[in-house]
Amino acid sequence: MSPAPAAALLAAAAAAALLADRVLSVALLAAVLLALCLRAPARRRIYLLAAGSTAIGVLVLSPFLWSSPEGTLLWQGPTLPVVGTLDLTTAELNAAALGALRLLALSLAFAAYALLLDHDRLVAAAGWARRSTLAVALATRLVPSLERDAAGLADAVRGRGVALQGVRGYATLLSPLVAGSLERASSLAEAMEARGYGRSGSTRAPRAAWGRRDRLALAAAPVLVLVGALWL
Amino acid sequence: MALATVERLSFAYPGAPPALRDVGLRLGRGEIVALLGPSGSGKSTLLRALSGLVPHFHGGRFGGRVVVAGIDTRVARPAELAGRVATVFQDPEDQVVMSAVANEVAFGLENLGTPPREIWPRVERALAAVDAPHLAGRRLAELSGGELQRVCLASALALEPELLLLDEPTSQLDPAAAELFLEAVVRLDATVVLSEQRVGQAVALATRVLYVEGGRLLLDAPPDRALDWLSSNRPQWAEACVDSTQARVEAAASPAAADACVEATQSPVVRLEGVSFGYRPALPVVDAADLEVRRGEVVVLEGLSGAGKTTLAKLAAGLLEPQAGRVVRNGRAGYLSQDPGRYLVKETVVEEVAFGVGGDRARGRAALDTVGLAWAAARHPRDLSSGERERLGIAAVAVAEPDLLVLDEPTRGLDPERRAALGGFLLEYAAGGRGVLVATHDRALPAHRRVAVGRREEAVVGV
Repeated sequence: MSPAPAAALLAAAAAAALLADRVLSVALLAAVLLALCLRAPARRRIYLLAAGSTAIGVLVLSPFLWSSPEGTLLWQGPTLPVVGTLDLTTAELNAAALGALRLLALSLAFAAYALLLDHDRLVAAAGWARRSTLAVALATRLVPSLERDAAGLADAVRGRGVALQGVRGYATLLSPLVAGSLERASSLAEAMEARGYGRSGSTRAPRAAWGRRDRLALAAAPVLVLVGALWL
Repeated sequence: MALATVERLSFAYPGAPPALRDVGLRLGRGEIVALLGPSGSGKSTLLRALSGLVPHFHGGRFGGRVVVAGIDTRVARPAELAGRVATVFQDPEDQVVMSAVANEVAFGLENLGTPPREIWPRVERALAAVDAPHLAGRRLAELSGGELQRVCLASALALEPELLLLDEPTSQLDPAAAELFLEAVVRLDATVVLSEQRVGQAVALATRVLYVEGGRLLLDAPPDRALDWLSSNRPQWAEACVDSTQARVEAAASPAAADACVEATQSPVVRLEGVSFGYRPALPVVDAADLEVRRGEVVVLEGLSGAGKTTLAKLAAGLLEPQAGRVVRNGRAGYLSQDPGRYLVKETVVEEVAFGVGGDRARGRAALDTVGLAWAAARHPRDLSSGERERLGIAAVAVAEPDLLVLDEPTRGLDPERRAALGGFLLEYAAGGRGVLVATHDRALPAHRRVAVGRREEAVVGV
């Protein structure tokens, strides 16, 4: 399948997950997206880790940050300043699961986009939105670059005999990591300008035309969003 | 008629002292110009001025005039000059835009508005010109540094520029890959300005040599006259021009280099016994390797790219744990990674160096003095040139005086004078009763012992 219809399908799946209001439906969508991500040959670990950990974070924290009078009270804890009385009801648990699964589906849709699609062809197919699509494609490439730079920074610091311990230790690397990314982005922008990027009258290299399957996928995308909004 | 004219060019980056001072030159069609000079001397800035990136992309104070192919760079933006001028930058990873090789080469052609039916044939011709037609279908992420830099050269050639600017394009390559790259440059039908720290190779290719120092153009002459000038005024550069590898090997292995030869009785600072390591299961990068570095000794690890030198160096420094065998260290190890300029953590140069000694600025300043960077103590590390950053990295690791100093490709981006100074520094460091282990392609770096890291079925043997 061409990347543009595939990207449209992934975006539709993410939108359907956000619009659906049944835990089971969203879980099903997330499971399908997870299966897709697992087909990626490499680099999937960091995406799955990020998706899983943020979803778990939402699942664990949100029942305590939002209170619902509905459902059965499962647990009541102490009263804290600002937050109020901690409790856990079946309605809060259901809402937390729904929120976590929505976030998981959204993250997995992005992971599938990053890991499985040919971004070059996506940029080529973008037409009038080429600049935005290229910006997204370059931002997507930032994830593995950041991963590599973080490992390099940690090695550089340890190589100077400075121990990195705990969250605080690794947090000190955040600022140089961002500075390094900005520097990399600036170098890339310079190289792009030197190659004529931004000049008027650009053209496109000829590419293979879309097949029947691509057109079907493109048509299925809005249907999936509609199904998510109305029936899931 | 000259292809490019630079008239009384002076330039300073925002908030910085002048990078170029009153530079004047004319470039004729078909010339191959070697642009030499110490790191931070203004070579990259001069190339950026010729491509219009200075001042348009960087800002700063610009005086004088640069005209390329009849276009004044003060008026035209770099994107408008693209096609007539093409640039290959130092680090290939920082200049690739697309994911696949053919698309990367086509990117510039698309920007220039090349008729669509001409794009793929020109991509094929450009890849063929750098002996890389076989790479057309590959993903960029799968390529080696040398292959990637050739793709960058092909991307520039596809534009069929009249003026090709190469900014230390081989600094990330091993000697074999660098030779292939420079051979491809010679065959080009364009005016080429080549800034290069492999001085001998650059001068051998050139029809003309420029030497820049402190932002001033000190020399503009044909190669033979340039060699005379360098011999009289910059002898270490002239020596580097005599680039016969054999001569360098002999120099490195000469009694002078081995004078400080280590007594066999000196105790080892690190010993690797039957060490194996792999990043993927069943694919060892280092396989049953033995290695010893004694106090007072400089040991160099040699081998092709991907042979496992970095992995072995990291194992010796304790940054990787062996999956089999054992590593015995007597003392503390310090490690300098490849391309240390990427891994800077502090806001000023002196803080960067002092970071390894608990923020002790006095020791930091002393270490900066050793590598000739005392003048930069208050500057931001990322404002330094690549060669200066390399020296900063060395100071940042050596400041803590580890018993074992492990350096991975420390001579990248260093000019001949700084390379010679680094060689002397390492011998002196080892003579103080510490061990030094260097993974490098640079055969001119003096050492007491050279260890070949070979490959057999993807694994290191014979160490």
